[in-house]
Amino acid sequence: MAMSTLLVSLVATSVVMYFISKASWKIGAILNFLIGIFLISYVFALSTGTTSELGTLFGQKLQLIWTNASYYFSLVSLLVIVSVMLFAIKWLDSQKYPAAFNMFLLMMTAGSLGVFMAADLITLYIFWEIAVLSSMLIVPMGKKESRKAAVVYAVMSASGTYMYLYGAFLAFQRYGTLNISEIAKHMVSDPSTGIKATIFLLLASAGIAKSGIFPLHTWLRIAHGNAPDAFSAVLSGQLVKLGSYVLMVSVAALPSLKIFSNIPFYSGIPATNYFLIALGATSIIIGTLMAIKQDDMKMLIAFSSVANGGYILIGIGTMDPIGFEGGVLHVFNHALAAAVIFMAFASVVYRTHTKKISELGGLIHKMPITFLAYLFAIISLAGIPPMSGFISKWMIYQALVRKGMFITAFIAFFGSIGSFLYVFRPLAGVFLGQLPKKYKDVKEVSPIMWLPMVILVTISLIIGIWPFPILKPIEGMRMDFGIAPTMKIADSSHWLIKGFAGNWNPVLVFNLFLIGFVIAYILYTLFPRPKKVDLLAPHKKEGAPINIYTGGEFIYNPDLYQYNTKFYAGFERMYEKHPSWEKLLEMLAKFFYDLGEWVHGWFFRPSPSAYTFWVTLTILIVFWVRW
Amino acid sequence: MVAAYKALFNLVLGFFLVLSLEGVGRKITARVQRRIGPPWYQNFIDVFKALSKHPFSNGWVFDFGVLMALGGAMATAMIVPMGSTTWTPFPNSDNFFVIMYLFAVGALGMAMGMVGSGNPWASIGVSRALTQMLGYELPYLIVISSTIFYYKTASIHKLVELQKNGWNLLVMPLGGIIAFISLMGMLGKKPFDISTAPAEIASGPMTELSGKYLGLLHIMHVFAMFVEVSLFVDVFLGGGNLGWYLVKFIVVWVLAVLISSVLPRFRIEQMLKFYWGVPLGLAFLNALFVLLGWTL
Repeated sequence: MAMSTLLVSLVATSVVMYFISKASWKIGAILNFLIGIFLISYVFALSTGTTSELGTLFGQKLQLIWTNASYYFSLVSLLVIVSVMLFAIKWLDSQKYPAAFNMFLLMMTAGSLGVFMAADLITLYIFWEIAVLSSMLIVPMGKKESRKAAVVYAVMSASGTYMYLYGAFLAFQRYGTLNISEIAKHMVSDPSTGIKATIFLLLASAGIAKSGIFPLHTWLRIAHGNAPDAFSAVLSGQLVKLGSYVLMVSVAALPSLKIFSNIPFYSGIPATNYFLIALGATSIIIGTLMAIKQDDMKMLIAFSSVANGGYILIGIGTMDPIGFEGGVLHVFNHALAAAVIFMAFASVVYRTHTKKISELGGLIHKMPITFLAYLFAIISLAGIPPMSGFISKWMIYQALVRKGMFITAFIAFFGSIGSFLYVFRPLAGVFLGQLPKKYKDVKEVSPIMWLPMVILVTISLIIGIWPFPILKPIEGMRMDFGIAPTMKIADSSHWLIKGFAGNWNPVLVFNLFLIGFVIAYILYTLFPRPKKVDLLAPHKKEGAPINIYTGGEFIYNPDLYQYNTKFYAGFERMYEKHPSWEKLLEMLAKFFYDLGEWVHGWFFRPSPSAYTFWVTLTILIVFWVRW
Repeated sequence: MVAAYKALFNLVLGFFLVLSLEGVGRKITARVQRRIGPPWYQNFIDVFKALSKHPFSNGWVFDFGVLMALGGAMATAMIVPMGSTTWTPFPNSDNFFVIMYLFAVGALGMAMGMVGSGNPWASIGVSRALTQMLGYELPYLIVISSTIFYYKTASIHKLVELQKNGWNLLVMPLGGIIAFISLMGMLGKKPFDISTAPAEIASGPMTELSGKYLGLLHIMHVFAMFVEVSLFVDVFLGGGNLGWYLVKFIVVWVLAVLISSVLPRFRIEQMLKFYWGVPLGLAFLNALFVLLGWTL
């Protein structure tokens, strides 16, 4: 099947899916999942270099091309989406609008695949809007606050998209083409740095808005925090990666090192890229600090997405071979980790109906599989071996240290250690500790819900031990973009990953950990068997005290003996009075609102007809002067 | 196969070396404070006694956390080079960042297991330990980054080889001092023993430990300290044969113990303000010197 046929029929199917789901949402969800499986097989079968044509719009051909980048990003997206589709087969019974959810999820899939396949800027834009709008319509299906969340999401996304569109038109006006590879050629030979930098930044701003980079990061917290729980997994794991893709297109597909070779800023990195890196670094700081103090677990991970978007941008922005690979690999790692984490949270909310860390605790006794999935996902998110998250962080550090970018490296280290802090909070507050009395009858979620989490975590673990299958398309991508094509980073014959400053062998590291674990286990079995302490004793018998150390006191209510409110109070206190970007935006919004009120009060209310007259006149004058 | 024997030797040496040095440290602290102190082998007695007693277990994640902690610490101890290429078990994987993050597996395992015990004091201890990590790691990582930038390698045994003509401590004395201050925080020595603080939070993470759990986590702590001090010796104090390495190791240890024996404990935000003040500033200054080529 040609790519264009696939995309068009996917969009059409999504509408059909609505009516099928109206009859029975369960059948719709299962069909969605099967379509997802088919798409994965389709993605595997497609060979790079395949082109296809979608049609003509205003004399411009809408072209599709299948590259290494399309393969990689589509695969990552589909892994996340298909897992959520499987998850949704059971989870949707807690939702109000399952039919619309099924339809928009499929439509969003089509849009995302179209973005990755697009060969020119306008095709990219069209599919981008399909993906954004359909996802925007899923967001308000959550709780009451999510209506507002959808508006914020739409506005932020639009501000990025329109800048992108403006950039695309600017490029078209100057170079007469919209095809990305041709624009790249023209831009390399274009003498005017100002225009090139404008196009570059305008195109990148769509990515900045979408992947939640400062200053357009505020929607992430609101949208991810309030969207339907399972859809947050798609938002953070997949949709945000559309932004990373556009950033990659504007930094790497348009070879920024060559285009801006006349404005080097530091260590061979052009000023334009450095600007993006600075934004990424700011996002890491904001994301990490804000994530540490969140009480809402979904918002916590939403802020962590801001920080991880920063890592991706920094990695790609350096355009260093190893940094670029690290940034792109981080897309995969963060997608999987964030998807599993949000699905785990969705399972928790599905059972307990709350997302406040301070109201939860001890769920490990009731939901051990969800706990394990979350545990392995945060190991990956925090970048600890043997999970795959470590590999990309290692690569990004290598690039930063090699370039001597100590301040950026410092921020990256801060984000990494900070991530230990914030991923541990839900672990301690939600899954470990004392189980509150009201959740004593909570059960593990059904296998349909935990299976996708387990699958994704297993993939992440396998890639962490044997990363070469996923590094292959990334290396292909690097060759396509011509970033140091002679350098080889993944050496699968020697099981090594090579950096500029030394190698390491992921298989060996995993085996060492395994050996250490086995020795520890042998030691453990050698010594006397433990007596079990029943942590659930107060739940089983009314009036039974807690079994653990309480300083000699008797405590009968486990809810009182759980430390999960303001977990890092000592640290949080240090930046309580931080300036807030969100507040600033709110002030701006209020200013415009008041301005509107003023116009309304002074001109519209006294005489609507005069108001209409003046508005018409102003528009006519503007049109006449041609501003 | 040779690599496996070397790795095993790392474990054996690390265990006996650090456990006896801990005893020596207790003796030194006692003498500084004009007490007599326990014999140098007291910690062996402590560990074996703990291991032989009947323990209590607070659930499977408690057991799993202890195993993960000990396993992670052992894995890291197996990779760490000891002062020369001859005593480097895995020359292909002794990358600094690999060691640093593999080390975190053990720390995470311990944190998870202890919070899994269900005791809030353990949670508070872990919260403090992680905050402290944020404090000492940042100056340390900046110093190590500038070292890697200077020598163009992150492989520890190569760093050791490249110091043949002069110790890194003499090349960048500022960096060496900062790294030593960070080392004090890593080892959890006073004034940085905030996370265990027996008088405040009932030994923090260790609150619920009994019998073999206490023993196994003590062994984990031994390997962790072995890794931390070894990294400092390798990166800043050059190479040499195993004997020299042991001498340097002991000197660094005794110095840390001497400093800690006369200091009281920081509060958590005092610790952060301390590390993010002068040490972090000097670490950046050191990085600037390296960038400008102003090294000795």
